[in-house]
Amino acid sequence: MSMDHHHTTLSDRLTFPEDNKIATGFFAAGILGVVLSLIGLFVNTEQFFYSYLTSFTFIASLVLGALFFVMIQHVTRSSWSVVIRRIPETISFQLLWLGLLFVPILFGMEFLYEWTRPERIATDELTQYKQPYLNIPFFVIRNVIYFTVWGFLGYKLYKNSVAMDLSDDPALDKKQRVLSAPGILLFAFTVAFASFDWLMSMDSHWFSTMFGVYYFAMSFQSILAVVIIIVLYLFRKGLLTKTINNAHIHDLGALLFGFTVFYAYIAFSQFLLIYYANIPEETLWYYYRFEGSWIILAYLFLIGRFVLPFVLLLGKKAKTNYKLLMGVSIWIVILQFLEMFWIVMPILHKGAISFHWLDITLLLAFFGISSGLFFRHFGKHSMIPKNDPLLAESLNKH
Amino acid sequence: MSQNTAIVPNNQLVKGNHDFASITKLISDIPQERTPLWWYIAFGISNIVMAVMLAMIAWLIWEGVGVWGLNNPVGWAWDITNFVWWVGIGHAGTLISAILFLFRQGWRTAINRFAESMTIFAVMCAGLFPAIHVGRIWAIYWIFPLPNSMQLWPNFNSPLLWDVFAVFTYLIVSTLFWYVGLIPDLATMRDKVKGTISRLLYGTFALGWTGGNRQWQNYEKSYMILAGLSTPLVLSVHTIVSFDFAVSIIPGWHTTIFPPYFVAGAVFSGFAMVLSLMIITRKLYKLEDIMTVDHIEKMNIIILVTGTIVGFAYAIEFFIAWYGGVEYEKFAFVNRAFGPYAWAYWIMITCNVVSPQFFWVKKFRRNVALTFILSIVINIGMWFERFVIVVTSLAQDFLPSSWGYFSPTYVDVLTYIGTFGLFFTFFLLFLRFLPMVAISEVKGVLPQANPAYYRSNNGKSKTTE
Repeated sequence: MSMDHHHTTLSDRLTFPEDNKIATGFFAAGILGVVLSLIGLFVNTEQFFYSYLTSFTFIASLVLGALFFVMIQHVTRSSWSVVIRRIPETISFQLLWLGLLFVPILFGMEFLYEWTRPERIATDELTQYKQPYLNIPFFVIRNVIYFTVWGFLGYKLYKNSVAMDLSDDPALDKKQRVLSAPGILLFAFTVAFASFDWLMSMDSHWFSTMFGVYYFAMSFQSILAVVIIIVLYLFRKGLLTKTINNAHIHDLGALLFGFTVFYAYIAFSQFLLIYYANIPEETLWYYYRFEGSWIILAYLFLIGRFVLPFVLLLGKKAKTNYKLLMGVSIWIVILQFLEMFWIVMPILHKGAISFHWLDITLLLAFFGISSGLFFRHFGKHSMIPKNDPLLAESLNKH
Repeated sequence: MSQNTAIVPNNQLVKGNHDFASITKLISDIPQERTPLWWYIAFGISNIVMAVMLAMIAWLIWEGVGVWGLNNPVGWAWDITNFVWWVGIGHAGTLISAILFLFRQGWRTAINRFAESMTIFAVMCAGLFPAIHVGRIWAIYWIFPLPNSMQLWPNFNSPLLWDVFAVFTYLIVSTLFWYVGLIPDLATMRDKVKGTISRLLYGTFALGWTGGNRQWQNYEKSYMILAGLSTPLVLSVHTIVSFDFAVSIIPGWHTTIFPPYFVAGAVFSGFAMVLSLMIITRKLYKLEDIMTVDHIEKMNIIILVTGTIVGFAYAIEFFIAWYGGVEYEKFAFVNRAFGPYAWAYWIMITCNVVSPQFFWVKKFRRNVALTFILSIVINIGMWFERFVIVVTSLAQDFLPSSWGYFSPTYVDVLTYIGTFGLFFTFFLLFLRFLPMVAISEVKGVLPQANPAYYRSNNGKSKTTE
């Protein structure tokens, strides 16, 4: 609540550079990834779909995390985040076409989901039992619902925010809140069930009530890292340096620290309860993911995704140390990809970590295209919601 | 380039035309006034109720755990239900004082002292039950890992032991946090009170606080560190309580979502309890300017959120019980909803999931009477949640031939009711003798605390104009 007026006006340029070379670069990389992956589709169809699902759930986790980030800011009417909110808003706008990216998975269901295979249905009692839920039409219907809900929320929240750039109608701000509160409720259920459908049902016998929370915890930790990376990238380009200050960066760092602990808490609780009770229908999931060299990744998550960022981000100074934050954030995003890899791939490659070039090309395709789309949209409008009623308070944060 | 430069006025946290002096007076006068009659009546009733509890415990120890309604297969019932219920209530205090502090929620200042005190007393009530349920209370010290001549060690693999550590740690850190926060206010009391003995007592516990710059710097630092330490504790205590159940393979207990779901439930019931007590107290002591309707609204939002998380967990549990295809798990959940304890289950659903949904509407969130009623309804619901979890899974376990039904005896009921006596005895003492609002912290959120305040008012305070 400082009264220093010189801060309350925006003195930075608010639009992303016209040439937007980075978007072009990402698109080029993405298209290269698509072309190479299409070759891979014919070389090794099964591998293609597993790699596809890995990259899809990775990108989806980021985009969904961004949606949650935006909604929680509106619901809590938080002012600190106004100056950075356009970043997650633009990311979650991509939910509009995330559903299209899911369509190819429907063609690979017989590879990915054992419960769709007729010979499995014929012989496995539990698969028969789960038929009312685990069947292809219902699976498609559910996913249509998920993507409709997310697409609607992502699109609306972005459009309202952008509309506010042109008018200072306070009704728009209220709309965002009215949308976000039930939005979070819908988000909770859709994300939980989507994670059951996409990932949990791959091991069709396995179940864990925590799984939805686990997917959410990973995605929220990762999106905080992504937002930090983007802000620091903008700084490096000399953008928004007078708008976003160290207090905002510090808060992002503190949240990243907090949700690193939250991720560890959820992931470890799920593991511990299954390990301790030690009943085969539950332990099997971990058995495959700890078998052979896969356990290396499990240890990597424990140390790399919890211990290391915990220690590095604990101090106050660390949270405004750009180099450190950038490093930790990139590392966390890489580990998020690897954790999706670790969840999906042991079904295909039992007993040993096995990278395929398709893992890389599909990641390139997904990451390139979605990053390209992000920067293209980011360049279209002001980089901050310049008419937000809480903007002045956000700018004054120190 | 249009830009909205208007500053949205911050909602005043403290209503009325208060300044530093009037806040001090408002709070520090309460322990100095003559003790009101209602206080004596309430204290008397609490003492009697507590005496009943003590008599019940004495009878329990004399006669053995058989005086409770426990049977085979229900070896755990009201004792553990009450333990989890009280410890859950004890979550609000530290959440408000630590987590809301780290999130820089200025509104916490009006209620943190109050909630912290309630936390400590609730944890005391909670700790009572595991202690007396062991049967041979004279051997209770065996739960501590004390080296002894019998080479007896507790089972470190047991979450029941982790519970001992978690609850004790929580009690110690919460008490420390509460006390550190009290120091500046105790010094205020020392400077205000007239009696020699009371001045000596307040002065002793104020540890020589003078309010100097250095002291404040140290104070702020230690408060920050304690907040940081307390934050994981808020999560850990109820997580470990949930482990008591979830590490087992009892259907209905063993489910991985338990830790966050228990924590959300604990915060839910804790906030409800703070509201129940706060709504009465603010009325009795005329603290409506400090504990405002805005505070009630914010707390109701947290209740809505945590209540809905609990509802989410119920739904996911139920779905996975079907989806998992484990016969016993499925039975446990269907049995909860439609078996002999269906009445308890539906009370739980109505109170915990349905009732907080009122708070989607702003008008209801700001309705003090409705909030008071719902806050009690919620705590009834949360008691039944623990009862449903503990008892239904045990009463109908794997072996149908040993199925049973639990009915409480008068000793069960009176011991539980008696803990309210214990709780309110301490709580009333707190209201009577300690500053029930963090005076120094509330001053910090007054507009006058802003360094620019006097500058923008031509060097004058608004209230003195």
